[in-house]
Amino acid sequence: MTARVGIVGIGHTRFGNSSAYDLVDVMAYAATDALVDAGILDQRREIDQVFVANMASGLFCHQTSIASAMVSKMDMEPTPAELIENGPASGASAVKVAYMAIASGMVDVAMVVGGEIMRKVSGWEGTDVVASMLHTEAEYNMGLTLPSFGGMFARLYMEKYGCTERDLALVAVKDHDNGLLNKYAHVQGACTIEAIADNETAGVVNNYIAEPLRIYSTCPVTDGAAALILVNMDSPKAAMFKKKAVRIAGFGSATDTHCVHNRKDPLMLNAVRIAGEKAYKMAGVTPKDISFAELHDAFVILELAISEEVGLFERGKSFLAVRNGETSIKGRIPINTSGGLKSKGHPVGATGVSQVVELVRQLRGEAEEGRQVENPKYGMSVNFGGFGNNVVAIICAKD
Amino acid sequence: MIDFSMYDVKAPEILGYKCLTCGTTYYPAPMICRKCSSRRDPVTNKKWETFPLTGPVTLLTWTRVWNLPEGYNVKYMLFGIVEFENGLRASGRLGINNPNIGMKLTARVEESDERPGKPVNIFVFE
Repeated sequence: MTARVGIVGIGHTRFGNSSAYDLVDVMAYAATDALVDAGILDQRREIDQVFVANMASGLFCHQTSIASAMVSKMDMEPTPAELIENGPASGASAVKVAYMAIASGMVDVAMVVGGEIMRKVSGWEGTDVVASMLHTEAEYNMGLTLPSFGGMFARLYMEKYGCTERDLALVAVKDHDNGLLNKYAHVQGACTIEAIADNETAGVVNNYIAEPLRIYSTCPVTDGAAALILVNMDSPKAAMFKKKAVRIAGFGSATDTHCVHNRKDPLMLNAVRIAGEKAYKMAGVTPKDISFAELHDAFVILELAISEEVGLFERGKSFLAVRNGETSIKGRIPINTSGGLKSKGHPVGATGVSQVVELVRQLRGEAEEGRQVENPKYGMSVNFGGFGNNVVAIICAKD
Repeated sequence: MIDFSMYDVKAPEILGYKCLTCGTTYYPAPMICRKCSSRRDPVTNKKWETFPLTGPVTLLTWTRVWNLPEGYNVKYMLFGIVEFENGLRASGRLGINNPNIGMKLTARVEESDERPGKPVNIFVFE
């Protein structure tokens, strides 16, 4: 591909409980933020195409056709708009599709908006909605949920590599430290290793969800939206934006078996590995070039496993790096500088877009004091759909 | 009064699938054979054989889940992934309380009506 595609506008709502609000309003708010950031609020019809990422508005909010509703809310008709649904990887899929639309030459400027309101339903209903992405006959019908697979995966990983529950807690402490400094994060509260792992009462504070995963091993249920404006950096329209573009250097995506039990080795996240390899190849970089990464830690065990699959650490060694502080903001390879899904939250359709917003904030040098990575060149995001059966990796660069 | 609903009661079962062209077995059913690309007709299963999946299994991993979705009115449930003696694997519930990876269990199938809609067949490994 020859087109250079860059990000020139970002928007993000404060993640948290937005269940009192309308999903389309929340998405339109993030999208308007992106227009303001890009300096094209009054030129918004220069956007050639809108892609909306959402997983389950029909089930969570009883709302459908939300892409056209959002465009109308923003007075952007007749701009074309479509919905991209790819489970929890919807956000990064929408970024990928927007990139391809620009690279094809059909579009010069595209807007990507990811949003989800999950808290309009009860926790029990929400768990059920998310579980509906599993194999109906062989997984969902059994009563299995996403945390169930997180727990079974964590048990295998811990048994094989000697990772402990305390190691999982260290990932959570690091993520919460970062989220505490992120104005957009859902959980802006610090937690200590003593409170969630070491003290006698830790088991009460940090109770089990799906053993060996505890509440501090698991992301909260979160509402919110995030938005991006993408441009063909070589088109005449590129000159209308006030901020320098952060270039999308590469992306890759891949699928894996729907049923987790059908993977030859249930500890291998093949779609993550392949998506990462494709992204590195397209960007012309290796894992050593990555300055920081946003990895899909819906369960903290996934932050560890994904970081190994994309080559940031040797297999079975990532938790040792966490112990040594290598993944903290000042470490060798900061991971989940935003707080990750663990602290920032995981509004499923928004997450992939939110991860890329964080890449842009870091590469522009706009992250809050205390969590800005020093002079980053390349940032990587990995957005993980299902239990790893559809994964999109994106690498952004500061040129 | 004769209760006709009591007649022809079938024991619940979950089926494995075998491609008769190349002999590869599956659970759950594929649409196309991974090995020989034979197509399966989901209505007639022509050129495919089905067989009930039950019997001895080995537990590969497990979890005890405390935040169950809507419809499950128990404090917690245990789930696991197992491997049958024929090499097929499955996910399902555990009917034991203190599992260990590698332990030998037996798979049976029962009907579950916890969730809304028609009852479904599930694995219980115990």
